[in-house]
Amino acid sequence: MQMEQIKEKVTDYILEATFAEKEKIKEDTLIFKEGFFDSMGFVMLLGFLEDSFSVKPVDADLVEENFESINAITNFVVRKQAA
Amino acid sequence: MNDTSKKPFSKDIILLDNVEEVIENITAQMRKDTFQRLHRMGGVIGISGGIDSSVCMALAAKAYGPEKCLGVMLPEQDSSGDSETLARELADKFGVKSILENITGALSGFKCYERRDEAVARVFPEYDPATYKMKIGIKQSGLYTNLPPVFNLTIIDADGNEKEERLPAKDYLQIVAASNFKQRSRMSMLYYHAEAMHYVVVGTPNKHEKEQGFFVKYGDGGADIMPIGQLYKTQVYQIAEYMGVPQGIIDRTPTTDTYTAEQTQEEFFYQMPHQLMDIYWYGYENGYDPAEVAEVMGETEDHVKAMFVNFERKYKTTEYLRLPPIREYYNGNI
Repeated sequence: MQMEQIKEKVTDYILEATFAEKEKIKEDTLIFKEGFFDSMGFVMLLGFLEDSFSVKPVDADLVEENFESINAITNFVVRKQAA
Repeated sequence: MNDTSKKPFSKDIILLDNVEEVIENITAQMRKDTFQRLHRMGGVIGISGGIDSSVCMALAAKAYGPEKCLGVMLPEQDSSGDSETLARELADKFGVKSILENITGALSGFKCYERRDEAVARVFPEYDPATYKMKIGIKQSGLYTNLPPVFNLTIIDADGNEKEERLPAKDYLQIVAASNFKQRSRMSMLYYHAEAMHYVVVGTPNKHEKEQGFFVKYGDGGADIMPIGQLYKTQVYQIAEYMGVPQGIIDRTPTTDTYTAEQTQEEFFYQMPHQLMDIYWYGYENGYDPAEVAEVMGETEDHVKAMFVNFERKYKTTEYLRLPPIREYYNGNI
């Protein structure tokens, strides 16, 4: 899957899961810092990444840099798939 | 952010200066609310042998008189055996009548254990509730990050061997939903006794449980009054010492007493000892400058800032638990 397709899927998922208006969440919006996701939202996001991209983060992957925004999540998925 | 009229931040800032006066004020308000506002004649308290319910019982005995209080022990098959012994000691100490209502049968009727174990077995197919113990905890330290914690399931076999796995959302939700039957069944039983005696239910959550969302909506969060709902845990301990709550209760490590394996509240939810949590939360809540808090606590300013952001997120994301049913759907104009 190409990077742009991954980004589109991640964006669609995040908008659907947070019920947020499209203009409120940009590619670089800090989705956790700004409170769009809580613990349960994060757990569900991990499930989505596994179901959609076969990416299963290990404990060491669970750091803010990998999940803080749509861009960060996209890059993380791309990196994991390439590994 | 720094308000010059505020007390300088210190590690002792949350300590009650006059415990006796605080107790007098709380108990006077309890009497007023219970007798005059709610028109009830006394109070029922679920007693677990934990510090919060013990202090609530001590306060209720002082407020209403021990003869107008009822302590109800509500164990189930997973409860620690110490809970009952300590709860009885407490009731004896304050001269309050106590009764025991074992809710295991009610929970079996709700299929609480069956539903929980089904979800656990989806994660660990070898899990057998007859021989294994289980608990849920949070693993990574989320204190200095904006990333919320995820939940891990641990099972422990008869030889003490542990296995741990991150919980998928579906299984986590089912385990929590099933376990919450415990708090909600206790609430039902407390209301039975309260209504039968025309008493109030005295709720036991403290300030952190209420504000950080560490309670079950309509479970231990279901009550008529919450006398320690504005008190930090450190202050609850101060009151416990002052009122003579049995030392065995004061010395006991706070646990969830919800899952079959032993588990502290720190491990399950708070991620730091309550003594520290109390001070940081006070700083956050009262708008202290993170730099001032950091200097007093021997922490970095960035860590304190991150902790405050974390507290804010926790408060916002648990609003659902504190909200009563929303009913603003019709404005009467049509």
